[in-house]
Amino acid sequence: MAVARLPVPESAEVRAPRTTRRWVAVTLEFCRTRPLGTIGAAVIVVMLSAALFAPVIAPYDPEAVHFSAMLMGPSPAHWLGTDPFGRDVLSRLIFGSRTALTVGFAASLLGGSIGAVIGVATAYFRGRIDLYAQRVMDIFLSFPLIILALSLVAILGNSIPNLIMAITVPMVPRAALVIRSSALAVREMAFVDAARAAGFGHTRIVLRHMLPNVMAPFLIIVTAFVGQAILLESSLSFLGLGVQEPTPAWGLMLSGAAVEFAETAPWMAIFPGVAISLAVFAFNLFGDSLRDALDPRLRTQ
Amino acid sequence: MHRRSVLIIVAIVIFGLALVGPSAAQDKPRSGGELVFVVPSEPPSYDAHQEETFGLIHPTAPHYSTLLRVDPTDKTGTKPVGDLAESWAISKDGLTYTFKLRQGVKFHDGAEMTSKDVKASYDKILKPPAGVKSLRASAYASVQSVEAPDAHTVQFKLKWPEASFLLNLASPWNWIYRADILAKDPHWYEKNINGTGPFKFVEHVKGSHWVGTKFADYWDKGKPYLDGYRAIFMKSAAAQVAAVRGERAHIQFRSFSPPERDSLVQALGPKITVQESPWDCLNFVSMHHEKKPFDDKRVRRALSLALDRYEGSNALSKITLVKDVAGIVVPGTPYATPPSELEKLAGYGRDINKNRAEAKRLLKEAGVPDGFSFVFKNRGIEHPYAKLGIWLIDQWKQIGLNVRQEVIEASAYHPMLKRGDFDVAMDFQCGFIVEPDLDLPRFVSTSDANYGRHKDTVIDDLFSRQSRAADPEERKKILRQLEKRLLDDEAHVIYTLQWHRIIPHLSKVRGWTITPSHYLNNQLDTVWLAE
Amino acid sequence: MGRYLLKRFILMFPTLLGVAVVTFVLIRVVPGDVVELRYAGDRGAVAQDIIDAERTKLGLDQPVWKQFARWIGGVVRLDFGESMWTGSPIWQEIKLRFALSFQVAVMATIVAVLLAIPLGVMAALKQDTWVDYVIRVVSIAGLATPSFWLGIIFILMLLVVFRWLPPMVYTPFWVDPWENIKQLIWPALAVGYRYSAVATRMTRSAMLEVLREDYIRTARAKGLLGKVILSRHALKNALLPVVTVIAIEFAFLIGGLVVTEQVFNLNGIGLLFVQAVAHRDYTLIQALVMLVAGCFIVVNFLMDLTYAWIDPRIRYR
Repeated sequence: MAVARLPVPESAEVRAPRTTRRWVAVTLEFCRTRPLGTIGAAVIVVMLSAALFAPVIAPYDPEAVHFSAMLMGPSPAHWLGTDPFGRDVLSRLIFGSRTALTVGFAASLLGGSIGAVIGVATAYFRGRIDLYAQRVMDIFLSFPLIILALSLVAILGNSIPNLIMAITVPMVPRAALVIRSSALAVREMAFVDAARAAGFGHTRIVLRHMLPNVMAPFLIIVTAFVGQAILLESSLSFLGLGVQEPTPAWGLMLSGAAVEFAETAPWMAIFPGVAISLAVFAFNLFGDSLRDALDPRLRTQ
Repeated sequence: MHRRSVLIIVAIVIFGLALVGPSAAQDKPRSGGELVFVVPSEPPSYDAHQEETFGLIHPTAPHYSTLLRVDPTDKTGTKPVGDLAESWAISKDGLTYTFKLRQGVKFHDGAEMTSKDVKASYDKILKPPAGVKSLRASAYASVQSVEAPDAHTVQFKLKWPEASFLLNLASPWNWIYRADILAKDPHWYEKNINGTGPFKFVEHVKGSHWVGTKFADYWDKGKPYLDGYRAIFMKSAAAQVAAVRGERAHIQFRSFSPPERDSLVQALGPKITVQESPWDCLNFVSMHHEKKPFDDKRVRRALSLALDRYEGSNALSKITLVKDVAGIVVPGTPYATPPSELEKLAGYGRDINKNRAEAKRLLKEAGVPDGFSFVFKNRGIEHPYAKLGIWLIDQWKQIGLNVRQEVIEASAYHPMLKRGDFDVAMDFQCGFIVEPDLDLPRFVSTSDANYGRHKDTVIDDLFSRQSRAADPEERKKILRQLEKRLLDDEAHVIYTLQWHRIIPHLSKVRGWTITPSHYLNNQLDTVWLAE
Repeated sequence: MGRYLLKRFILMFPTLLGVAVVTFVLIRVVPGDVVELRYAGDRGAVAQDIIDAERTKLGLDQPVWKQFARWIGGVVRLDFGESMWTGSPIWQEIKLRFALSFQVAVMATIVAVLLAIPLGVMAALKQDTWVDYVIRVVSIAGLATPSFWLGIIFILMLLVVFRWLPPMVYTPFWVDPWENIKQLIWPALAVGYRYSAVATRMTRSAMLEVLREDYIRTARAKGLLGKVILSRHALKNALLPVVTVIAIEFAFLIGGLVVTEQVFNLNGIGLLFVQAVAHRDYTLIQALVMLVAGCFIVVNFLMDLTYAWIDPRIRYR
């Protein structure tokens, strides 16, 4: 299928020396040459620390109901206002970043990893296995992302682990396709043949020799998927099929009351929307720049 | 700024409420115009005998008549008046009901309506032919037979007297169909329309709209006032509000939420009129009586005692579709419990600190540790389920319980209840006429809908006694006993707050009165549009 | 070439069959079925014999493989049966909604193309200048903004600021084009902007690559004017991957606009799907998935066809 025909990353087999100084240099170089990516990375770092230290940073308990404080506008006491249950919007946003990042990272890592293994394995074995695997991938690719996720949520029920599963499944074939095309080139390289000649088992060759060499496309895919997963999670929560009250989640904060009170209490609709956009934006910026940095020829995707 | 706008809104609402009162009644109805209303759901089949959704009633009820109906001007929705029946008589023993039918009533296809049609329709409801189902056969278990002694007389013979029988015949679901058509094809009415109602069917475009036009031969001369109506199917609540706000639609007959009402009032001012009523719908909490610790009535009582119903009523009525603190009968209707009586029930007292101290004591006594955690299952519907869920969990936290909510998609919810796959779950019911006989049978031990699986012969006995009580005062007294047993002594279930129906509509819509049920009062024959 | 295309063509069918099997099994795993739902209304339970009778009528009491055989037998004759919820023929349920979704997808694609091509070319020509950065930020922002949020803000703006509301009911284009456009232009703009992001990036990078190719340099050396080079040479070659991306996005748009349809109150395929899942309307779900997946598979095949036609090297892959 025409979905993703990726050229092979030239830098794939280049391994970075593992010294701290080298890392600092690479980071500085990245910041200098890719200002947009740096902005993205900075936002991600801020979000990660917010999620990590949520109980310390958040001024209020995100789930405690205080009817006496219902629907208050932004003020020194509540920087971003409160919702109809008197819950602090800022605190819910901060705790909501936990939900977003957990779902985002878990789904993209899981989806990327499973996809990578399938992609590399099919590229390695080729022949019939590849053909059948491709057909199965085609089947899953034919469902729009949201439709597949939606059906899975209906089947599994909507807890956070189930939500992660539902978002992971549609990501697998997409990751597999991209990784497979890179792995096809790796397969042609001499060291794979050497490994086979040395009598190594298939599992060992796939896991030890080929997988590390598709690290670059893997990283790119994973960063790109984090943003998508966060969006998908918020869409599902918005439709009432994702995370459930009273757990704080951005998409959930945008559904229902936020729309009903959009005119009288616009802070309820504006801030979670900004949070989602900013998060996805940051991951996309960072992912883009990472791709350019890791391999200039990958830009075409 | 916000507080002031709320004040303005309140003022306008009050003004609006005043407007629908006597002044509307004095105006002389004007003929003409097309009523446009939005419907949040779409009809499955067209046969009301086998459907349960307002999505069918709202667009389709104007095509049909029923034998009796609920007085369209009665706000309590409990007064039966004749529709196809002109008059009726009840025998002294209460076992024979004889109805005289109106003469000269025509079906939309021109055929004359006679007692044969009424009998055939009720036979279909009571004893459906093979392959046809009726959802309401069990509601008429007391009926021995339906007879048509002459062309304009129908007689119902009962096996035992039933206080609520007349009201039950005013059910908005019991549309009268043509006997000849039913005889030929009992499924015909699932996909076609032919009634004696004020409006004829024009078209139904799936996923879009439904159109009806004035039936010139309607039996009530001079009615309907409208030339026709157009029902627009619209799932999104925001879009429904926008439609009214943009004056593209006049009304939505189910309900809007309080913030939606407020935004309409604020945007349209006197152009909008708000009608509100307690709603014959309820969310109550069911606890599985075979699961620990909910087999212990002290624990069940504690869960009810934890709720600050009065604060909840005050706050939640600004957010979602609930308002009154109520017992087993809808407030404002004949058998309702007065507030002073209500306050004596567990969890209904005004002193919340006292209630919660009592709740904690009961939990301790029952051996439930502090921080005890359980899962509360709720149905995935925004109003008022989700809001009540947030509130309940917070309230239970106040007595040291740690509750996690598991929301289950609306469609999978009922099978879950039926399987008994829960400890504590949100339960629900909606009635079409406020009448204990119709609203309470689910609490009888043997009922299919007794999901908490309590076994209580006292309740069963009280229920059948109230049903057969001839004297209203006597019936009230038995109902009070039943209420105390159900909600206090045994705390089989926990009533949260009564649903509250809010219909903001363009002020030019006249002649329509809100009732406690969104199934009632949708024939539209009395509705008209002011200039 | 003929053999390659034939192979591609034949491969469409196992994929479709696979989609059918997966859907058929998946939805039957979901707890609850249409009968139980329909008769489990607010007033409590309906007697079990009514439920059983209805299940028999719909064939739900049969083993799954038998149900599948019956259904696929119909599909082969292009008969998708009747909706289990309403009892009406599937095509009657779907036709208007499909028309709407299809049109939104077309209009959004047009918007995306109109935005993407000029922006992408501009970004490539001014690579690594502030023009490039602004364009990239704007397009990534489109990708990052949740469409439901954008939609809410769109509608609110129209209503509050301009006191205007798009039509509530879908009017097919051939009935009243103006009324039709007035309703669908807003979702098309919101979705088009979002999907232009991918196409803009594609155009930019494709342009960059083409600009580095030798013949462009030659053309420049020959002193041809910038504009001529652009239109004659560069764009034509850069177009292919861009067209691919747009075509595939288009195929996904038809069934994938669930949230947009919800926000803009469009009775389209996406919302119908959500509703069908909620009703456990198996026949309708199956038909919808086949339709959406079918569109995707056919568009993919057409793209392969185009590729093979334009770039003969593909045939040997």
